[in-house]
Amino acid sequence: MMKKNHITELIPEYLDGLLSESKKEEVRLHLKECELCLKELEEYKTIFNAFEEEKEVIPSERIRTNFFEQIEIEKQKKSKVVPLITSTSKKEKTFSYLLKVAASILLLVGGYSLGNYQQEQKGNYKIAQLQEKTQKIKQTAMLSLIGNKSASKRIQGVNYIDEFSNPDEAIVAALVDRMLYDENTNVRLTAVEALSNFITSEEVKNAFIKALKIEKAPAIQIIIIQVLVKIQEKKAIIPMKKLLEQNETQPFIKEQIKSSIINIV
Amino acid sequence: MKKIILFIVFATIVKLTAIAQDYHQSLEGIEWVKIESKSSIIVKAYDKNELLIKAGNRGKINEKTKGLRLVGEDGTDNTNIGFYVIKEGNNLIVRNLKKNEHAIIYLPASQNISVKTTWHGDINIFNFTSEIEAAAELNGSVAIKDVTGPITANSLNGEVQVSFSKVSQKSPITIYSTNGELEISLPKNTPADLSLYSTNGDIYTNFDISTPSKKGMKSVSSKKIKGTINKGGVNIKLNTTNGNIYLRKR
Repeated sequence: MMKKNHITELIPEYLDGLLSESKKEEVRLHLKECELCLKELEEYKTIFNAFEEEKEVIPSERIRTNFFEQIEIEKQKKSKVVPLITSTSKKEKTFSYLLKVAASILLLVGGYSLGNYQQEQKGNYKIAQLQEKTQKIKQTAMLSLIGNKSASKRIQGVNYIDEFSNPDEAIVAALVDRMLYDENTNVRLTAVEALSNFITSEEVKNAFIKALKIEKAPAIQIIIIQVLVKIQEKKAIIPMKKLLEQNETQPFIKEQIKSSIINIV
Repeated sequence: MKKIILFIVFATIVKLTAIAQDYHQSLEGIEWVKIESKSSIIVKAYDKNELLIKAGNRGKINEKTKGLRLVGEDGTDNTNIGFYVIKEGNNLIVRNLKKNEHAIIYLPASQNISVKTTWHGDINIFNFTSEIEAAAELNGSVAIKDVTGPITANSLNGEVQVSFSKVSQKSPITIYSTNGELEISLPKNTPADLSLYSTNGDIYTNFDISTPSKKGMKSVSSKKIKGTINKGGVNIKLNTTNGNIYLRKR
């Protein structure tokens, strides 16, 4: 009997392990052949899992009233309700009644879970949007701090770099600008340290070479040299040799250059 | 009697010249006072809402300069006491034109100040609750006492001393010296995120710095010390190339 018909109505019992061995076997065989029923089974599983996970759902007041209203409406339209199982033997009557109840509960819970799921999806999308927005706000805050009159605020702005895992061009350009041209040495020093984490970028590398040519503060020179030597940057050799020739270059900078220039091959 | 009259006359003259040695300037609409000097400078907080400069060598007038005006590379004396003072937007630029005379500048405690000395000038700053920037660009030292910050200070060869009466949590504090030592004291209950680093110098402190641990192991050998005191707070970064760093509880 079951071979021709689909076994969708048996799936809940099947999943709950309530079927007799022979019926179980029938269902199993049918599932092997019938994709439709297999799909149905998967859906039931999902719903069951949701049922399992959704331990204590307290519906909102609005849903509750809607629910009772819907029941009232359904009661009035009772005749129009399509029975889930159309042709069943008497033997299965009580069973089919139970199934109807189970199915309606499942539909209700399933509908609710689906709604929840969609809400969650929407929520996730909103979170993504929000994250993007916060990132934008952070960027604006950072750029505005970097343009502040106070050196301490500019440093705060430069330190914001930690908030960005993948800073975009505008941020890198703003940091490079501070590293090269800020009037305050502490700000330039902070910018050099912040940018040294992105030294693999060609733009940052070139900015470091430029800084090596124009920077006068030894505390910054030494960091630039250490960073460029670490990545074996050949373009750093000429500006380093120039620093060696200059009288005003601090002795310890010259020492550093002499000991590290041989390491660049 | 004659002697007394003579003394009074003399005292009045001294007083008059002393007054002539003071310079007052309103601070209305001024956000930052930027002081530049080649020689040493002392900046003190007082309770009036204006700038007051008391030039060095008070009461002594160089006869040879009578009728002449001091001209320097950075401007002309427009105060009669060897300073060039000018408003630039909401900054007040205050330049000491004399290369070898120190001066005392008084400002309200809440005034943001930026002080820079080139050449041998030492910077001394006392009792401010505002934001302070200080840079001794050549051989001068920096001493900033009884302040709250934020502080942004650096020196090339001189030492830098900063003692905080309280630490403002507003924005970062960064202090560094290339060849000088750092001597910093904070109230013992100051919450802060510390970053201490010295290329060739040593670091000493009596604060208990909690360093982030990796898999339960504390990093002790790193040249860079990063950690928190009193559960963390404002960023404080102390950095030297060749000098030692001393961080004390006050």
